[in-house]
Amino acid sequence: MARTVAMFTDVSLCIGCRACQVACKQWNQLEAEEPEWTGTYQNHAHFTDKTYRLVRFMEEKDDKGALTWNLMSDVCKHCAQAGCLEACPTGAIYRTQYGTVNINQDICNGCRYCVSACPFGVVAFNHDTGRASKCTFCNDRLHNGLGPACAKACPTESIQFGFRDELSAKARKRVEELKKMGYKDAQLYGEDQNGPLGGLNAFFLLLDKPSGYGLPEKPRLPQNNVFVDSLLSIGSALLVGIGAMVAFRERGGKE
Amino acid sequence: MPLLQSADWPLLIDLYFFLAGLAGGAFVVATIADLLGGERNRSVVRVGYYLAFLAVIPCPILLIVDLGVPSRFLHMLVSFKPDQAIGAAAINIGPFHIKPFSPMNMGAWALLGFSALAFLAALSVFLEDAKRGRNLSALRTTVGVIGGFFGFFLAAYPGVLLGATARPLFQNGSFLGALFLAVGASSGAAAIALILSLLGQGAGGTPGRLRQLIIPALLLQAATLALFLLRVGMSGGEGALQSLALLLSGPYSLIFWVGAVAVGLIVPLVLQVASRQPGLVAISAVLILVGGFLVKYVIIAAGQVV
Repeated sequence: MARTVAMFTDVSLCIGCRACQVACKQWNQLEAEEPEWTGTYQNHAHFTDKTYRLVRFMEEKDDKGALTWNLMSDVCKHCAQAGCLEACPTGAIYRTQYGTVNINQDICNGCRYCVSACPFGVVAFNHDTGRASKCTFCNDRLHNGLGPACAKACPTESIQFGFRDELSAKARKRVEELKKMGYKDAQLYGEDQNGPLGGLNAFFLLLDKPSGYGLPEKPRLPQNNVFVDSLLSIGSALLVGIGAMVAFRERGGKE
Repeated sequence: MPLLQSADWPLLIDLYFFLAGLAGGAFVVATIADLLGGERNRSVVRVGYYLAFLAVIPCPILLIVDLGVPSRFLHMLVSFKPDQAIGAAAINIGPFHIKPFSPMNMGAWALLGFSALAFLAALSVFLEDAKRGRNLSALRTTVGVIGGFFGFFLAAYPGVLLGATARPLFQNGSFLGALFLAVGASSGAAAIALILSLLGQGAGGTPGRLRQLIIPALLLQAATLALFLLRVGMSGGEGALQSLALLLSGPYSLIFWVGAVAVGLIVPLVLQVASRQPGLVAISAVLILVGGFLVKYVIIAAGQVV
């Protein structure tokens, strides 16, 4: 396995220009879509089968009650423990040698289990092809020694591409800097490889608590439920089995 | 703007979950009745195995029609893919793959195995019926016991499958697999009772025996449903409480309380306990089937909104 790569999105540098969103569409040849009125500058409300990078414009009130933006260029997190990958019944979703998560379009059969298994609502169903789609981490560029198109296009270096260990060190330094500058809520999201989902290979620096960006505070791997849910099912099965045995038991000719 | 996205599984899938549970439940009932007295319980065994086989026939069709690329249905089990990591504990045998933590993959294998065994069980009953005196009980017992485990799995796995998603209602419930299994048992037994009463074959002690199974199965269904709701409520997550509200007091509350709980669970339970009249037993069996479908339908519908 090659060295794990990562994307680091530093929201403190994001100006909401959406160059990443456009660069992603161009490189991946994703069609334009009808704009969606979401009530904020955000377009679209969700990731779609044609939008793999999405700049979120979260409207929040500051201490004085004035409206502020929590800007965040959101993307597939390429989780170290990925719900979509574990859910996929066909083996279409796989981990690349770079540690990213990809959907093999030649194998996906459109069951949509991954769509509901993603803790971040990233995977979307493409009604034209009948398959699931999401950010590929620009797999083609990656294999040719280039970073993803969104990172390349970002004019403020809010999105950075690199090896995970190097980016981690950079990110931790940046949080300290921002805290010194008075951003008391500055924090990393998904950088910790001992944290939820074994760390995210696209991690973030946030200026507010995760819920301020619509992100779950502690994302969970859905498949962690399989063991307990199965045990409870077995308990239920035992009760049914015992009930049936009592009902159909031999009763010495008394009917 | 909610973060999560939904698979938007349609009615086809609810129908599949219902039929798979019914088939698995009917098969298990037939097997246990067979093991504890094949001759005495002959009518239950015959109807149970035939029903399990007939109910499982539409199942793969419902699933395949729902796929985005139906021609690739076999990819659930086998796909020619590069040698790459496809999940924790995934087992690759040539192009075949078994993913223990993907309930959908395991369910596809279980459906394949159950279908084969349900066919063999129905065939053995048919061959015995075709020629008096022929005894295939050794084959039937073997197929019945192995198929019984598959039947349990088939009835329960859809609940575990839903539990292994990020949807708050499903993810926090824990008891969905247990509930779906209980629904499978109650609907399987009720369907057998209904068919027997329609055929006028409820002779001897058979209706009483089925009744003795249906009552505890309905009680288990009620208990696991209550535990499911309790678990979701106690999880305290925002999304979980929202979807719970949709189910209990929102747009789905009528179907839930009237359809799944009152008409589909409490009324048939009271009828089973209070009356042994064949007509009322048949009516209660129909209500159990309706309730079994509605409880799955309404939970899946509410859980896919938030």
